[in-house]
Amino acid sequence: MTFWKLIFRNLTRRKSRFVFTLSAIAIGIASVVTLLSLGTGLEAEIRKQADVLGAHLVVTPKGWCAYEQISVLTGETLPEALPAEDVAKIAAVEGIRSVPYLVQRAVLNNNPVPMVGILPEPMRKFKSWRIGSGEYVLDQNRVVVGHGISKQFELDIGDEIRIRGSEFTIGGILAEIGNRDDLAIYMDLPVAQDLYGSGDKVSFISVKVDDITKIDDYILQIQNSANVAVVSDKQLLRSVLAIVGTVGNALQLIAAVAVLAACFGIINTMMTAIYERRREIGILNALGAKSKTIFTVFLGEAALYGLLGGIVGVVAGFAFSYFAAPYIGQNEFTAFLGSEQSVSVFDPGITMRALLFSVLAASLSGIYPARQASKLSPVEAISYE
Amino acid sequence: MNDAIIRTEGLAKFYNNGFRTVALEDVSLDIARGSLTCIMGPSGHGKSTLLHLLGGLDRVSAGKVYIGGEELTAMRPDRAAEFRSKRLGFVFQFFNLLPVLTVLENVQMPMMLAGVSRNDQKKRALKLLGILGLQDKTHAKPNQLSGGQRQRVAIARALANDPEILMMDEPTGNLDSGSEQELLEYIRQIHKRQKTIVIITHSETVASIAERIVYIRDGKVITD
Repeated sequence: MTFWKLIFRNLTRRKSRFVFTLSAIAIGIASVVTLLSLGTGLEAEIRKQADVLGAHLVVTPKGWCAYEQISVLTGETLPEALPAEDVAKIAAVEGIRSVPYLVQRAVLNNNPVPMVGILPEPMRKFKSWRIGSGEYVLDQNRVVVGHGISKQFELDIGDEIRIRGSEFTIGGILAEIGNRDDLAIYMDLPVAQDLYGSGDKVSFISVKVDDITKIDDYILQIQNSANVAVVSDKQLLRSVLAIVGTVGNALQLIAAVAVLAACFGIINTMMTAIYERRREIGILNALGAKSKTIFTVFLGEAALYGLLGGIVGVVAGFAFSYFAAPYIGQNEFTAFLGSEQSVSVFDPGITMRALLFSVLAASLSGIYPARQASKLSPVEAISYE
Repeated sequence: MNDAIIRTEGLAKFYNNGFRTVALEDVSLDIARGSLTCIMGPSGHGKSTLLHLLGGLDRVSAGKVYIGGEELTAMRPDRAAEFRSKRLGFVFQFFNLLPVLTVLENVQMPMMLAGVSRNDQKKRALKLLGILGLQDKTHAKPNQLSGGQRQRVAIARALANDPEILMMDEPTGNLDSGSEQELLEYIRQIHKRQKTIVIITHSETVASIAERIVYIRDGKVITD
């Protein structure tokens, strides 16, 4: 006979009550795990995307809001706002390499797809792209597509696609890169500007510097050469992560409320159990159980609710985040993330944190009922009818 | 009496629920080591209260209780619980077995509370259940047993830590006459092992096995 055996038998004596109380804590923990898992996946993916942006600096029009800055990473449609004059001035700054982007949206089979207007050769060198099949030629009639787009829409070399009423031939398909560059159509910049009526303007400019230690000097030089805002990749990443983090924290707060509600469920269950088992508490006391032993038994029951509920919640949370991710991926903001990539299917860190949180929350809930049980007078408990 | 294992001095218990109720008053009693004593009296006259005070299950209003020379009434509740676990065994009228545990586990329970190893718990519990004729019921739950069998499990549990004193509150109160006789036979056998037994009872049959009978009326010892 052991304490844990006694605790487990007590816990499962009323099976339906056990299941309902366990479900409450499991649902709370599952929501925590789902949000943590999606949040962690999203953050990792954003970091990865920032890396593959391949830029040290991003030049944007002055006054862009955080959402527009995020869009640089997510590949969403951006307003064309930097004139050719500024692009030329920035390109003339010594010690940097710059490439302009015009980010628009095309439609393939009724699905929105990013369409990026680029200068073909500078961009290829800037990104070190390799061609997977066909030729890397972008002109009036030909476009290049990313590997992911070719797979998703079953496109091949020579296929015709229609963008804003004009026919284009797929001249080449990029080799798989493993980031959102796989998920766009690339068009010659002047052709794209014509097609979308952007005049001579672009959305933003990516910049690589020759000497990373002088990055502040380059920022000043760019700002002196044109009336633009310059943000470093690290600043960009920080501001994006700050927004994602704020949203994540708010969602986790909601999940914590679910856990809090479950904790009150545990308190209620434990208090009911104490009233039902008053006589047994008295018997234990008569048999020699000290008040701290009785306290431990009831606290152990609450903690076990936390542990078992936590385990069920963690499994359910990961399962839910895995299956929910593709639907969440339909969201404009997260569409650029591959669904499988954006979810940590199993993360030991999240598992440990969730289990610890579950056991801790349940144990805290068990303190008051356990104290009540340990304070019962043995003779009152035995005499209880 | 020099060989008294239980001794009380001026023991009293009052309840104050708006008005003062005297449950027990000025009880001074010596119970000899190895004796079998029955405490008798009408219902509600303080028999069970006396047993609860003797076992340290309730706080005294006045007076002292000594067990084997140690003052139980001076002990803090946790110390009293530890003392009970090693020196006293209790048997109640309503058996009071833990329903979620098997017969074997119920008998192991006091040993677990006293910190006995799992192997020793099991060995001793099986031995006791054998003595009380329950060797084939070790894995049964209390609700699968008859009243007589449940009370024998309760006795085995009370004997688990080999206490010097066994305190029984109406042990045959819920048994038919056949089971009562059977149980009394077991109590006689236990008494032969030099255990001090104190039994609260209404039953003349139970009292017939006692070496000494103490009568209580209105919370006072009237004959001894």
